[in-house]
Amino acid sequence: MAFNSYTYLLFLALAVYLFWQAPKSWRGPYLLVVSLVYYATCNVSFVALPLAMGLGVYLISRRILAQPKPHKGWMRLGIVLALAVLGFFKYRVFFLDSLNAVTSQFRLPTLAVAGALVLPVGVSFYTFECIAYLIDTAQGRVGKPSLRNLSNFLVFWPNLTAGPILRARELIPQFSFEKEFEFKFLVAGLDRFIWGLVQKSVFADPLGSWVDEGFTTGRTLSTLDGWFLAVAFGLQIYFDFAGYSNMAIGTAQMLGIKLPENFRYPYHASSPSDFWSRWHMTLTRWIRDYLFFPINTRFRGAPLPLYLSLVGTMALVGLWHGAGWGFILWGALHGLYMVFYRVAEAFVEARRRQPATLKFWTPLWSLFTLLAVTAAWVPFRAHRISRTWAIWKSMFLGFSWGTGFAPRFYLVSLLLVLFCALEPYLMSLVKKVDVAVSSHPRLPLPAVITIRFAIYCCGLLGFMILNQREVQFIYSQF
Amino acid sequence: MSEAERIREAAREVVFKLVGHPVSDDEGLISGGLIDSLAIIRMISELESKLGKPIPTDSLQPDDFDTIEIIVETVKRVTQPAP
Repeated sequence: MAFNSYTYLLFLALAVYLFWQAPKSWRGPYLLVVSLVYYATCNVSFVALPLAMGLGVYLISRRILAQPKPHKGWMRLGIVLALAVLGFFKYRVFFLDSLNAVTSQFRLPTLAVAGALVLPVGVSFYTFECIAYLIDTAQGRVGKPSLRNLSNFLVFWPNLTAGPILRARELIPQFSFEKEFEFKFLVAGLDRFIWGLVQKSVFADPLGSWVDEGFTTGRTLSTLDGWFLAVAFGLQIYFDFAGYSNMAIGTAQMLGIKLPENFRYPYHASSPSDFWSRWHMTLTRWIRDYLFFPINTRFRGAPLPLYLSLVGTMALVGLWHGAGWGFILWGALHGLYMVFYRVAEAFVEARRRQPATLKFWTPLWSLFTLLAVTAAWVPFRAHRISRTWAIWKSMFLGFSWGTGFAPRFYLVSLLLVLFCALEPYLMSLVKKVDVAVSSHPRLPLPAVITIRFAIYCCGLLGFMILNQREVQFIYSQF
Repeated sequence: MSEAERIREAAREVVFKLVGHPVSDDEGLISGGLIDSLAIIRMISELESKLGKPIPTDSLQPDDFDTIEIIVETVKRVTQPAP
């Protein structure tokens, strides 16, 4: 059941209504049941998987805490088991295929590869949450686990299928359910949810068919079309994933639960590193806390380990998205961009003998980041290296200006580029207008409610007109 | 000067150097977007040289250095001898 379906809208209304009707002591078990029902509608065969992983994490966490000093051996075992589950479902076929490709080059025997399994929805997300929980337990950041809270943390339906990736310490304390219903929870949640629905259905989905056409057919593209195609995918994935994240955050807000933000105008980044502090922020935080920081504190930020770890961790970020060389190339490219930025920063710092801010170059770095991020979307979407080269060739070599897509494609893409450029200012303006209207002394409350209701109706109308078929969220496939 | 005060002074100096302007003791460095995780790693090295002792980082995360107040607590906790 995708968030952009009519069934989900009904499910959401009922689930939120019953949540606030239920006695406080029942809300925990109720959320667990509702989350499992939701997950069963996504893939019924794997409904026990997050629960089984939760049970494993619970038992191992107890073992970690049973020692006088937190036991890292148990933590490592738990991490290996969690990664084994993820590897079995997501990477087995890719690794065997890649291994066979190497062994066949040397005329060595190849291994039999069974057909790919169906990927349990959200497995990449809740596996990372399991690993975070185990590390946080070993570091003394979370106390004695409760099986119900831990299960609720892993299967909480708003973020179950595609994040945000949570920390136990930010969600579990909210499972005390002491709050009384307040109208503001519903308003804040609906604001976010409907805005997410608009981002997905009105902004992202209309680009989908053109993007599919450009990336999957083998046709030759002009330079203009190559760049338009890469930009269009960058816009599609942004509005798709930011839309999903807003709907997840909005759903949780309706239950009085706060989830962390996942996006902050990423195409306004001032450097490649800044892009990752704005794009999929909860994944960046996970990678920073559990991979990048431990590696680099060990070497105290020495340049060579730093540069290798930037490329290595970003290549892993790519692999996390999907089992394919296109994803790995995308991640490694982002790592190389960051190395380039760090080298430039170190160069400036050495000349000025003080920490570099590179502020003078910010507009140029912003432009570089925008172009580099756009070019890197090509392998992410093309999957195949051969198609990636063909599109890059059209973007960087040859310089032809022919147009092969329908005129609407260029118009929609340009309008969305304009929207992205103005988005922070528009959002700030909307907030100011919202505050002014809501607190206007001459506007009676029914008028304020009517205005808000009319805006919701416009959003839903856009969704109903453009949502002809339920287009899957891109990140729910990871 | 107590150990906590010594750490606080060192932290204020290092943070000032990294951020480029004075920062209040409870202002979020990472959460406020003032510095990134790499700057935190640089901060740890500089704190070690100012305090003249190693800061074990095995169980630390960037959030343990988010404000000057938290830095003082973290450094005190990880550098105090085991009972």
